[in-house]
Amino acid sequence: MTLLRKQWLLASTILLYVFAFLSNPERAQQALIGSAVSFSSVLLLIIAVFCLVGLLQIWISRDVIVRLLGREGGIKSLLIAAFCGTLLIGPAYIIFPLLMEIQKRGARWAVITIVLTSYAVKLQMIPIEVEFLGWPFALGRALVTIALAIPIGLLVEAMMEKWQKPL
Amino acid sequence: MLSVGVLYLVIIVCCYAFLWPIDRNKVLQSLRLSRQSLLKLLPFLMAIFGLVGLFQEYIPPELIARFLGKSSGLLSLLVSSFAGAISIGPPLAAYPLAETLLNAGAWPPAIAAFVFSWITIGIITLPFEATTFGIRFALLRNGISFMAAILCGLLLGLLL
Repeated sequence: MTLLRKQWLLASTILLYVFAFLSNPERAQQALIGSAVSFSSVLLLIIAVFCLVGLLQIWISRDVIVRLLGREGGIKSLLIAAFCGTLLIGPAYIIFPLLMEIQKRGARWAVITIVLTSYAVKLQMIPIEVEFLGWPFALGRALVTIALAIPIGLLVEAMMEKWQKPL
Repeated sequence: MLSVGVLYLVIIVCCYAFLWPIDRNKVLQSLRLSRQSLLKLLPFLMAIFGLVGLFQEYIPPELIARFLGKSSGLLSLLVSSFAGAISIGPPLAAYPLAETLLNAGAWPPAIAAFVFSWITIGIITLPFEATTFGIRFALLRNGISFMAAILCGLLLGLLL
């Protein structure tokens, strides 16, 4: 029972698949194959991210993180976050554990949010975006996203801190 | 994606190799911690990928496109932010879809909002986000990003 409570997400996913297989085995199989393909395509990335989490926990001192990505970092910490977000590749959710580790070790919430927001811009992929959507759209979108990332980060942080006490 | 994975892994292996002579006990400890957190989160990751597979099979991009094509103006801005929030997939998959929609006569700001929320908001990954960061952060971030997606579209509309 505790196992079920702990793994509720996996349990409900399996349940959904059971329903899918019962109603239409072929489509369920397609879905399963799709999952396997996307999982295997980012498996190396996942392993790399977790190896980085381990490195971070042991080798990077709290002080360094607080200085670079904490409140002491000032505007610099926010810019670093925006830059990292636009460069990192792969689904955003696989870096959740890494970001949480950084947060626990003293990074501010704004930094975490900015990384996840600026994820919507991919510097490496701008040429591809231009090809599909044209220069004005691709560049305009990149600029607007980056410009929004920092205020969003600060807003989320402010609200996190405001609600810290009652909850 | 595979080659990026290889690249990241090579960089990490180099870091480990570089640190090995400095203090091998700490390196081993890092590896142990990495394995621990990976094993702890693996069931969650598998669940998320399972959900992604289900989503892509039952709600394919074409369906979303049809859904978007029907609305117009400010309503389409809202609809496309929402469609982006429930969809999941790599940014690379968003571009061709966005192109199709633009060619079909969709409003550019709505498409910008769509791409923004496609990547920054994940309703399917929300359970995973909530387990890692706490439910408060997950809801706040996704909620604010939803409004930001609309704002992003409007701002782009002014720019273009």
